[in-house]
Amino acid sequence: MTADQSRTVRARLDRALENLRQRENQLSLVLSLVIGALVGLVVVAFILLTGRLAARMYPPGGAGWLRILVPTLGSLGTGYLLARYFPFARGSGIPQTKFALFINDGRITFRTVVGKFFCCSASLASGMALGREGPSVQVGAGLASVIARNLGLSKEQVKSLVPVGCAAALAAAFNTPIAAVLFSLEEIMGDLHATVLGSVVLSSATSWMVLHLVLGDNPLFHVAGYRLVHPSEFAFYAALGVVGGFGSVFFVKLLLKLREWFTRLPRWTVWFQPVAGGLTVGLLGFFVPEVMGVGYNYVERVLNGDVVLKVVVLLAVLKIVATAMCYASGNAGGIFGPSLFIGAMIGGSVGSVAHSLFPNYTAGPGAYALVGMGTAFAGIVRTPLTSVIMIFEVTRDYSIIVPLMISNLIAYFISQRFQKEPIYEALARQDGVHLPTSESRAQLGRIRVVQAMRPAPAVFSTNDEIEETLAKVRDEPFDAWPVADDRGLWRLIRNRDLEEAVSEGSGNRKLSEILVADSDERRPLAETLPHLHPDHNLSLALERMGTSGLNVLPVVSRADMRQLMGVVVLEDVLNAYGVRKAAGAAQTGELRES
Amino acid sequence: VTSGGASEPITKKAMRIKPSDNPGRRPESREQGRPFLMTVGLVVLAIVVLFAIDTFLAKTEKAEMRAEAARLFVEGQRFMTTGNHDQAIDRFESALAMTRDSQNYGLALAEAQFAAGRLTDAEMTVDDLLQRDSTDGPANLLLARIFVKEGKSSEATAYYHRAIYGHWQEGAAANQSKARFELIDLLARQNSPESKQELLAELLPLETEVPDDLATQKRIGHLFVVAGSPARAEDVFREILRREPQDADAYTGIGEAEFARGNYRTAKTEFLAALRLNPGSDETQRWLGLTNQVLDLDPMQRGVGVGDRNQRSLKLLELNVQLVTQCAVLNQSPELRSLIEDAQKALNQPARNSRQAPAVERNIDLAEKLWQARLTICKQNTSDPQDPLALVMNRLVQ
Repeated sequence: MTADQSRTVRARLDRALENLRQRENQLSLVLSLVIGALVGLVVVAFILLTGRLAARMYPPGGAGWLRILVPTLGSLGTGYLLARYFPFARGSGIPQTKFALFINDGRITFRTVVGKFFCCSASLASGMALGREGPSVQVGAGLASVIARNLGLSKEQVKSLVPVGCAAALAAAFNTPIAAVLFSLEEIMGDLHATVLGSVVLSSATSWMVLHLVLGDNPLFHVAGYRLVHPSEFAFYAALGVVGGFGSVFFVKLLLKLREWFTRLPRWTVWFQPVAGGLTVGLLGFFVPEVMGVGYNYVERVLNGDVVLKVVVLLAVLKIVATAMCYASGNAGGIFGPSLFIGAMIGGSVGSVAHSLFPNYTAGPGAYALVGMGTAFAGIVRTPLTSVIMIFEVTRDYSIIVPLMISNLIAYFISQRFQKEPIYEALARQDGVHLPTSESRAQLGRIRVVQAMRPAPAVFSTNDEIEETLAKVRDEPFDAWPVADDRGLWRLIRNRDLEEAVSEGSGNRKLSEILVADSDERRPLAETLPHLHPDHNLSLALERMGTSGLNVLPVVSRADMRQLMGVVVLEDVLNAYGVRKAAGAAQTGELRES
Repeated sequence: VTSGGASEPITKKAMRIKPSDNPGRRPESREQGRPFLMTVGLVVLAIVVLFAIDTFLAKTEKAEMRAEAARLFVEGQRFMTTGNHDQAIDRFESALAMTRDSQNYGLALAEAQFAAGRLTDAEMTVDDLLQRDSTDGPANLLLARIFVKEGKSSEATAYYHRAIYGHWQEGAAANQSKARFELIDLLARQNSPESKQELLAELLPLETEVPDDLATQKRIGHLFVVAGSPARAEDVFREILRREPQDADAYTGIGEAEFARGNYRTAKTEFLAALRLNPGSDETQRWLGLTNQVLDLDPMQRGVGVGDRNQRSLKLLELNVQLVTQCAVLNQSPELRSLIEDAQKALNQPARNSRQAPAVERNIDLAEKLWQARLTICKQNTSDPQDPLALVMNRLVQ
């Protein structure tokens, strides 16, 4: 191939890609696939790397002193790296991702992604009692952000790809594609009806396929099939919800208190603060090795009914302390995995007691451990829907879903009642960031057009004369007026068009004549007439006013486009948001109906 | 800058933001970025490289896991041979956790749990194996054994069948025969008319399936007798004698077959022949004793004189009176009482030669009625093949 041909091919490829970039929908789908595949591969590498390093650094049955030394040194090394080079890679990654999405235009740097990947791998491999899922989410979101920005996409496109990366990461980290989609919408976006749903689903599925391609079809936990033994067993699951709820509140409060204490320490101590977590987990691990690391192996044993009451109670308490300390001191790692561990131990304890008291009415402790996982997750992370689906996907056991829902909701409500602020918002607030909660975002979208709507001040007929109409509207503050024919609302006439017609000497012509001239009768009214419906979000009114260049828009019925229900005026929209204009600036005159 | 609905300001120290992540530094609405083509190329390259790395890491890890699992499996087997089932279970569980797709480890775990008496755990483990492969012969056989232990005969029979027709990785024919013999043993122990039919149905294919060694053929012959097919049993034993004319067990087997047919004299001849070849055989001695008891009790034997026949009928009557009186001490109906009184009278009558023949008929008739009464009132098993009285009475009633 000659140099000219090569240049031609490259130019064509550039053009094709540029065309793709211009078509946002297609680009979004292609990028969802690409991000899904890339993030899936990165997370698989993360899982494998962490697992292999952990098996070498503190092997099962290894010397006790190694279990103290490794986490201490590990936290010292990663602490320095995090403080010196990767300050945004500390902690879970979920608050950081939400910060990037809602406040920083979806911006997460490549440096943060790299830092999170390696520091977190080292941290988890050295035995920190933290999880890999939260960090995976930040890595996934970061990769999506990096790719989108390097492709030169708009801020909105970059932001829309952040949850796509999150879903892909969680799908691979947990092997739960549906829960990953739900988590991205429920927790990250705070909106289950988000418009990015299609892209999120696509990336989650792609990432999950990559995971299966590389690691095969293995659920996170292999669990024996459980079933409800007796209807009265719901009461025991409800009791588990109560215990799990209070356990979750205790864990969150302890973590936040400890973290608050650490943030008050002098700035120069930041780099070795993680050692406190490392030393704590090392000392606990010296006596009880199961406390170290993510601990999924032990969770699986408990899920399969290998439960000794004293041991599971002890592990629940120790894991709460170890995780709270590791996280609060600034180590890299998440709280998803520990939530599942704590929940399984709480569930195992409750189930063990229930089964010993009422063996004929209750399933084995393993079933309770399974439900307990979801309960703690719902209580700590506050995503009840995600937790139900996640436990179902993790275990592939459908029969336990109703007890799980009951227990989850009880834990969720207890958590809401006794720990007002969700954990990720609280963590961000400790860093001086006020993330928008899902409630506040919902509040914002709750103002509807109907709340700011007023009756139309005037409706002109198609037979009205132009000059006469202009005389009526000349001193009014509105840019346009509804015009109706015998079937109802037909067009809007702008003041500017009336003035132009009069200046051209057409003042005695009818309104229909100038409106017909510049309108396309073949196009449907919905396209030619700028309008709103009463149930529209008020922000849409602003958007459409901006697009049409009008300060007033007609509000029409959804059942009949020609039925005028009122108008929305810019001033009323601003008033609805609490932004009042100077008094008298927007006084509307009384107009008689024409 | 506001945080959306919260409408609260973001502090400048927010998350200790560095300039690169600082929201204050607003990027343009569309960043310049790298050249589009270069970014796409880099992403594709990253995917390829990561795929290679992941595949390598996954393969390495899988190989290491397999090696470790194999080591644990060997350890577990060692514990099994020394009878340390709990340790074996622990090793097999760990091995299985490392290689979930291994049927062998799963089966070893289930066997260890079975051996340790943890039947529920063993059942769950086998269920898991059968979900993956419902035709797995060893898993089906183990589940059948678990059901046998749990006393669930019909479930056990079903899983024995699955084991017999299931898939065996090695030694299929031998293992299938082994499973069939276990099923046959189970059916033989049940000793009901239905189980005898099933037993016969299982034995017929065995004739061609099993190895041609004498021990197996003798076992099959005995089982044919248990299954109520003495003719087939005799064929099997005659074939053995053709090959091994001095085989005492074959003579005993023929004796058993003749005994089952009610040919007690022929049976006695065969048992005696067997004892000539192997005088020390307790089993043959027992059979001979039983045959003699039947022959001594049966009043309808050919060649027995009238006086002897009368004595035998009286003996039968006496035994029946004893049995029915024992079992119906409190529950004697008027009819039964009348029958017993008649029997007592017959037993107390002095023997008169001229009237012995009708007396024999009457005694046998009374004995049969008492036998039937015992059957209905006492609800006792009256078909014990090793009970001389039952053998004689059942023959007379027929």
